[in-house]
Amino acid sequence: MANTILKLTYGDVHLGIRGEGFEYLFSYFIGGPVSLVKDGMEWLYKVPRPAFWRALTDNDRGNFFHFKSGMWLAADNYIIPRGTKIFIDNEEIALPTGPENNRYTGEETAGEVKITYVLETITQPSTQVEVTYTVVSDGRIRVNVTFHGKKGLPELPVFGLRFVMPTPAKGFTYEGLSGETYPDRMDGGVHGTYEVEGLPMSAYLTPQECGMHMETDWVRICRDTSLSNVKGSDVTSYLTVEKDDKPFAFTALPYTPSEVESADHAECLPPGHRTVLTVCGAVRGVGGMDSWGADVEEQYHVSAEEDITFSFWLK
Amino acid sequence: MIREITKADLGWLDDPSVFGVNRVPAHSDHTFWADEEEAYTFRDKSLFESSLVGDWNFIYSVNASERPADFYSWDYTDRAVLDKFDTIEVPGHIEIAGYDKFHYINTCYPWEGHIFRRPLDRDGNAVLTGSFAKADYNPVGSYVKVFDIPEKMNGTDFRIRFEGVEQAYYVWLNGTFIGYSEDSFTPHEFLVTDVIKEKGNVLAVEVHKRSTAAFLEDQDFFRFFGIFRPVKLIATPKVHVEDLDIRTVLNEDNASGSISVRLKLKGFKEAGRISMSVTGPGEKTVLEASSLIGDLKTEDSGEGEFTYITLPEHKLDEVRPWSFIPEPKGMPPLYYIRISVFDKEDKCVELVPYAVGFRRIEIKDNVVYLNGKRLRICGVNRHEWDPERGRAIGFMDMAKDMDLIRKNNINAVRTCHYPDRIEWYGYCDLYGIYMMAETNMETHGSWMKFGAIDPSWNVPGNSQVWQEAVLDRAKSNYEWFKNHTSIIFWSLGNESFAGEAIVEMNRFFKSKNDGRLVHYEGVSMNREGYEDRISDVESRMYAKPHEIEEYLDNDPKKPFILCEYMHCMGNSLGGFNSYMKLFDKYESFVGGFIWDFKDQAIYVTDEITGKRVLRYGGDFDDRPADNEFSQNGIVFADRTEKPGIQEVRYYYGKYNS
Repeated sequence: MANTILKLTYGDVHLGIRGEGFEYLFSYFIGGPVSLVKDGMEWLYKVPRPAFWRALTDNDRGNFFHFKSGMWLAADNYIIPRGTKIFIDNEEIALPTGPENNRYTGEETAGEVKITYVLETITQPSTQVEVTYTVVSDGRIRVNVTFHGKKGLPELPVFGLRFVMPTPAKGFTYEGLSGETYPDRMDGGVHGTYEVEGLPMSAYLTPQECGMHMETDWVRICRDTSLSNVKGSDVTSYLTVEKDDKPFAFTALPYTPSEVESADHAECLPPGHRTVLTVCGAVRGVGGMDSWGADVEEQYHVSAEEDITFSFWLK
Repeated sequence: MIREITKADLGWLDDPSVFGVNRVPAHSDHTFWADEEEAYTFRDKSLFESSLVGDWNFIYSVNASERPADFYSWDYTDRAVLDKFDTIEVPGHIEIAGYDKFHYINTCYPWEGHIFRRPLDRDGNAVLTGSFAKADYNPVGSYVKVFDIPEKMNGTDFRIRFEGVEQAYYVWLNGTFIGYSEDSFTPHEFLVTDVIKEKGNVLAVEVHKRSTAAFLEDQDFFRFFGIFRPVKLIATPKVHVEDLDIRTVLNEDNASGSISVRLKLKGFKEAGRISMSVTGPGEKTVLEASSLIGDLKTEDSGEGEFTYITLPEHKLDEVRPWSFIPEPKGMPPLYYIRISVFDKEDKCVELVPYAVGFRRIEIKDNVVYLNGKRLRICGVNRHEWDPERGRAIGFMDMAKDMDLIRKNNINAVRTCHYPDRIEWYGYCDLYGIYMMAETNMETHGSWMKFGAIDPSWNVPGNSQVWQEAVLDRAKSNYEWFKNHTSIIFWSLGNESFAGEAIVEMNRFFKSKNDGRLVHYEGVSMNREGYEDRISDVESRMYAKPHEIEEYLDNDPKKPFILCEYMHCMGNSLGGFNSYMKLFDKYESFVGGFIWDFKDQAIYVTDEITGKRVLRYGGDFDDRPADNEFSQNGIVFADRTEKPGIQEVRYYYGKYNS
């Protein structure tokens, strides 16, 4: 490994972590990183947020899933940051905002940095999600996401972590199942490595949840545009999500669920400006025994009364 | 007397007892040729047939009182007369030509909330006087086609065939009233020998959007009208096979069989001899036979010039069974029958080719067997659809649909909920696709109201009047398609509840003793008194797996089939494996037909972006509408595969043979 030491900047608002070919900024206050730069390319447009919603499918509407679980739509859009903890080489430090950070010099380094964010949902009852980013010395980030189940919370359509990237991807490559798969529709999926051009939305007549890939070992997003105004900034760059202890599911689309759900037709969607990558730890089935009430089969529901935890690597 | 009724009556639109006037009785869909040479040389084009498709003259009127009532008698050599007309493409829907609004609605009748209509009074009498003929909104398309008889055309007697006109239409030729018909999805023929001329024939067709037939055609689809399938001028030779009834038998050994043929012959007195040859796989001639007319069993048809002739039954020592063949290019063995009719001078006057297979359908101990092997239906419901032309589909549409069906391991289609274009049945014979051939009937809105069952004015119910109308539809379905090996099930129709009229339809199909199974799902909505009299199979739609188990675990009366299941609306098709598992658990589970094959949506140019986009119900200011409820295909409207189809391909590939 070229560089096994992380260089740290204890800013007033952000912890900067950099090494050869990467620089990350983790906010102390707003619940996650604001910048992940690799090889000069910015990969974040917004702070990654837990994903609690998918754009309703026709079957979700038919079985009134939204009447039961609609509060997750709001939770998906708005979340309250409740605290940040930072560990340097496994030692927790006091949150290094001013004046606490005056004791640092700018020359600090570490072998491993772990930042844990506590986020609180706006559901009734509310619950908490912890997202932990562990940056290891070669710049890889292990992300662990834990949802604390709570009695009384309605079922979830999905639980994941959503990354909104500044520009639309050129495409992505993944190793997992062929086609669009869901927990109750993946037996026909064939394991392999697949290359996808752009961020295609399945052409359902009414835009709805689409593009899920179950049982994924890794996905590599390719972008060749950035928002930087500097000439020559548009270089081809890749960000890879890799499984940790078990495969994950993901969607890579140009829109958030709220955007998708607002459109009656594909042509009513705005031009896609971003890449919306959602890495999922739990996905509800799509169902479809009928479209006017038949529920998704029980084993493909996602309970919000139980804990959900999953992890993956970013590199 | 070539026709019984000589004057058109607008009142027929309101009278359910009038559904066909002066029609040639329904008969088999065989083609006929002058002789072997013509059949070989022209292949798809017999000189007994001439197409009348293309540009027709057209006038649209919003209702019957505004229509040009006497347009059939106008002088079409006068330029000023022709100038009154627009041009419309036939076949096509009048809505797609831009005259009337697109409208998509599912269960409700299309006039829901706009017009109050009841088909019957309390005594079962029709009470619709003027409801259609005098409606403010019930558009009329007045079509005119001027044509000559092609010089090369064979034949002495002429008829005009309409293969699909929605929904009620009157026909005149050269000013003479020719006939009237309803039943939008069935071919009809009218004799015109006495009025046709060599040149300058004026064919006038007046198509009404709605009539009492509308009560029987409440299918869940875009509601159209117009001449949407081919129109043909057909000539017949002096001796002509008007109807052909081929029965093939596959013996228990699956290796031998027999074939028998019954003809309805016109011009019997001029016939001398009839020969029949059968060619099997590998162009091998398996039968050649010839009989003098005098040696054949004949029976007067009671229809004047027609005689029934039964050819001797022939036993065949070696036949290969017809069935679905799973491998990608598999096609089942078909046997090509050629029946040649010779006149007294032993000159061939007509050659009738027909392709059939040998197969055996049985139910034993509530298990459906085909050729002694348990039948597993891995099927799909297929509407005829093209996003540009609606239900006016062409050959390429059928060919592309068939490619997708085969590629995805589908082994069966249900012709929901009407007979398809004639050619589709032949494709299914050829590719070994099992058919559930459905009669054109759905009366959903007459007994179900926003999901609640209210059969207080259900048609056809127990009404004698409506019974005749639906029986006619059953007869047409049977007579036209009876020779197609691919048909395993006759289906009485869709979602029409159950009553005595449907019992009679069931009885009609069973009376034909053709070995096929009769299917009808609606009896599950009204079992008492009907369960034992309607349908050979227990059919349901959208039953959950546990409900199927409940039926099959509790002393079932019939094999179980799902005429519709897995409603593939939008992003769907989850839980398919729970149905597939039932194949392993129950021998009596016959499988089912996924709802459905293709999204029904229409291409338009987006007003804002200028892009070509697909639109659905409610996108045309059509109200009330059922919006995107017609997007249930395993393929999108443009025939690209929906993501979920890989699940179908996987499981159907496992179970389809």
